Amino acid sequence: MPKTIDFTQFIVFDGGMGTLLQTQGLSAGELPESYNLLHPEIIENIHREYIEAGAQIITTNTFGANRYKLQGSGYKLEEIIKSGVEIAKRVAQEQWVALDIGPLGQLMEPLGNLSFQAAYEAFQEQVLLGQEAGADLILIETMSDVYELKAAILAAKENSNLPIICTMTFQEDGRTLTGTDPLTMVNIIQGLGVNALGINCSLGPKEILPLAKEILTYSQIPVIVQPNAGLPKEIKGQTIFDVDPVEFAKYIKEMAQLGVTIFGGCCGTTPQHIRALTEALKDLKPVVRQIKKITAVSSATKTVVLGTGVTIIGERINPTGKKRLREALKNNDLEYILLEGVEQRKRGAQILDVNVGLPEIDEEQVMLKVMTELQSIINLPLQIDSVRKDVLETAARFYNGKPLINSVNGKEEVMAEIFPIVKKYGCAVIALTLDEEGIPPKAEDRLKIAQKIVKRAEEYGIKKEDIIIDCLVLTASAQQMEVQETIKALSIVKKELGVKTTLGVSNVSFGLPNRGLLNRTFLTLALGAGLDAPILNPLDKEIMDTIKAYNVLWAYDLNGAEFIENSKTDEKIITSNSQSSDLDLAEIILEGIKGEAEAKTKALLEELTPLEIVDTILIPSLDQVGSRYEKGEIFLPQLIQSAETVKKAFTVLKEHLLEKKESNLPLQREKIILATVRGDIHDIGKNIVKILLENYGYEVIDLGKDVPEEVIVERAKADNVQLIGLSALMTTTVRNMETTIQALAKEKLPVKVIVGGAVLNPEYAQMVGADFYAPDAQEAVKIAQNFFRDRS
Amino acid sequence: MKTSREEVLRYLGYNNQIIDNSTAEIIDECLLEIQQLTQGKYTYKLFELAKTEGKMALLQTNLVFSSVDIQAHLAKSTKCVLLAATLGMTVEKRIYYYSKLNLTKAVILDACASAFIEAVCDEAEKEIQIIAQEQGYYLTSRYSPGYGDFPLEVQPQIIKVLDAYQKIGLSATENYLLLPRKSVTALIGLQKEPSINKNVLDKCQACPNLDCPYRKEGKDCAENN
Repeated sequence: MPKTIDFTQFIVFDGGMGTLLQTQGLSAGELPESYNLLHPEIIENIHREYIEAGAQIITTNTFGANRYKLQGSGYKLEEIIKSGVEIAKRVAQEQWVALDIGPLGQLMEPLGNLSFQAAYEAFQEQVLLGQEAGADLILIETMSDVYELKAAILAAKENSNLPIICTMTFQEDGRTLTGTDPLTMVNIIQGLGVNALGINCSLGPKEILPLAKEILTYSQIPVIVQPNAGLPKEIKGQTIFDVDPVEFAKYIKEMAQLGVTIFGGCCGTTPQHIRALTEALKDLKPVVRQIKKITAVSSATKTVVLGTGVTIIGERINPTGKKRLREALKNNDLEYILLEGVEQRKRGAQILDVNVGLPEIDEEQVMLKVMTELQSIINLPLQIDSVRKDVLETAARFYNGKPLINSVNGKEEVMAEIFPIVKKYGCAVIALTLDEEGIPPKAEDRLKIAQKIVKRAEEYGIKKEDIIIDCLVLTASAQQMEVQETIKALSIVKKELGVKTTLGVSNVSFGLPNRGLLNRTFLTLALGAGLDAPILNPLDKEIMDTIKAYNVLWAYDLNGAEFIENSKTDEKIITSNSQSSDLDLAEIILEGIKGEAEAKTKALLEELTPLEIVDTILIPSLDQVGSRYEKGEIFLPQLIQSAETVKKAFTVLKEHLLEKKESNLPLQREKIILATVRGDIHDIGKNIVKILLENYGYEVIDLGKDVPEEVIVERAKADNVQLIGLSALMTTTVRNMETTIQALAKEKLPVKVIVGGAVLNPEYAQMVGADFYAPDAQEAVKIAQNFFRDRS
Repeated sequence: MKTSREEVLRYLGYNNQIIDNSTAEIIDECLLEIQQLTQGKYTYKLFELAKTEGKMALLQTNLVFSSVDIQAHLAKSTKCVLLAATLGMTVEKRIYYYSKLNLTKAVILDACASAFIEAVCDEAEKEIQIIAQEQGYYLTSRYSPGYGDFPLEVQPQIIKVLDAYQKIGLSATENYLLLPRKSVTALIGLQKEPSINKNVLDKCQACPNLDCPYRKEGKDCAENN
């Protein structure tokens, strides 16, 4: 029979399991979950003691019961989970049984090699088995990575109807090991439809208290706390927790008075702690909290709250009207897109809009890739911008954090498509004040649409603060009289609905000269009317200066401190720009002075053709650098500096050709695949080889790191590649070079393979079946040159 | 805690070339950056050793080693410390960031990180030294999975025994790579007489990488510059 849990009341969980098992003979490194099968009576006793102490929910002994942690243990996931739930159910009377799910113990991509999908599948198995065995709810606990937690929550929600409670574990610096702070956790997790969220483990109740306060400020759902019995202390090689039950209960009481309603204990806590805790709650009632409702979006490590100043949304990652970006999207040139992101962040963007809508590409796949890459190097929250529902849904699912969806509008059909995505993945969304009839000319009618949108969203369970209204900017050249209607609409929408607002500022000047002036004048008007988050080009210095000035006049920038500081650096930039060296391009390359390559190459284009520059300067300089490296006259960082300098020069030439609509440089365009093999995540060496090969004109298909054999085989076939470079750094992954080479041989592909990596040597290379061994990147270039020369 | 420029240069394969100003500048920047990014984290535990023919066990754990080299290393030890250290994800993220945007800096910061994790281990070892001294023991040098015939395959077990995933965020992949990459696990023996292997000479000689540029005749990998 299903039991319902009343989340409006105090709920008491049990305490630590692992520490008690150690006193019962569990040795370090032994699988605690094995006791479900080896010593079920011990587990049963622990559950019983906790129930006697007052626990209303007991947690199954399945914390590490996942496919990754059980690997090599000899135990089956099914038997561990099934027995774990059954033991708990045997003891539980009116108590609930929580299926315990801990972290998988693997690090997520891109820095680790666990994909979101693989994490999801691992959690899914646990959820299905636990539900089948009869668990009453799911406890996802001790999470460090909010992305892994998101995968676990989705797995729980999509595969069961059980209530979900989740906790993350924080360090003394107030962040999880992967850098998530309490506000960010709340902002991401509470929208995913869990019943309660909070903190456990790592810290004692005293250290958890300030973090719990932060969570209580923002969480609109019940808050759980399961502290350790103090900070762990290592005494003579033993881990000791020394907060006794009395002290433990004192803090629990304090937290209950602040608004925490679900309690339990983690490492080092015992039935005595739970007894004291239960006792402490006896005379208390759950308190009604003052919850701060905010409009906020998050990456995994950063939350941007709208309405506390001007929030700048960078608009540059959008191919509309941008030839170079279109080119980059078509050619899978992620580096260019990443640079666009980095530049915008440097210039003050706080959220980045990402639009990759081009008819000739697979928008869903490209969005996923661009989004993931951007998230791996930039911590700003992203605004997912697409007209396609499937693209928005995929992005919302795989996004690490709480994204801003761009956009929904007042059309019933569009709301019916977009709102379920916003609700399910806990997103914020931009809503345009247009409907089936188009954009109403009058401000009052735009307000009506905004009201309808907010109301409809509420029916889907989406909160008002997750909707950001865009009253739509019309162009002054076509609809001059309506420009002021937008400003008016903005102000009444804010007043009547109390929502946050955005506008795509630069639309206003379309078709007119001196657009910058019109844009910033319009922006000033809109900010005055209460615009919270303009979407604009952060690389436009004047518009950014306008915002900085506004921040002073509107008292966001207190005492004008930032404004004054910025004015100083502006002066410095002006003076430093006037200096430049007298070196020629060849010397610049040899010295590796990256910063000067661009200007010098542009200057040379006045006198020489791109091909002349390549033939007479770039390639000879590269050869010279290579030979100096081989002779030991320069060392690795210098070789790379020069290579990066040449790359800058090439970028200028490519952009020049694109401008002139000429075809690409007539260099050799032989293709070479580069990949770090499956299981290995070291790719700096591979990247060095890549830049050198590219400088010599080869088209490098970089498959990245941790690349499965079949992906390499497929790509070699599809692109008819003749030369493949494989990299691996560890003895354990060099084996996968061998399996890759065998996979290629099995398909009888006419390819040759170069291998390289720190633990390799010529004999080892031969042993894995490679055709060539490259001890360094320069040697790899020589091998490629000889190889293709012999072919031609 | 800091690491020296010489150490970093060694990881970069430096061999007395003239270092131009811009390279020197980046190296100095990266040395500073790595110290701002992380203090490193470590955790360790002391265990009694039980030796039977051909095998060595750490008591109160399920660790049993049959590697000849680790047993030789701990031949005179009666106890040993299991150590795990990592620079954490912030360093990893920053190297990744540069690897996308500034390869020179990525390579140099990576070398700084390699040098720095050793410094973190040295720091941990100082603490362990004090514990050992109190009990009247000397330490052997650190010995890590991957040296000699001591297999990388023990990494997941070491992490479990130290609970290093929860404590310092350290994990091992299915191919026994440590993640974050800039991490170390090691065993340090405790013995009653001063250790002759306290210098790292045999550590280098025991390494399977015969072509390692730091492996030089008569010199060990930490002293060849």
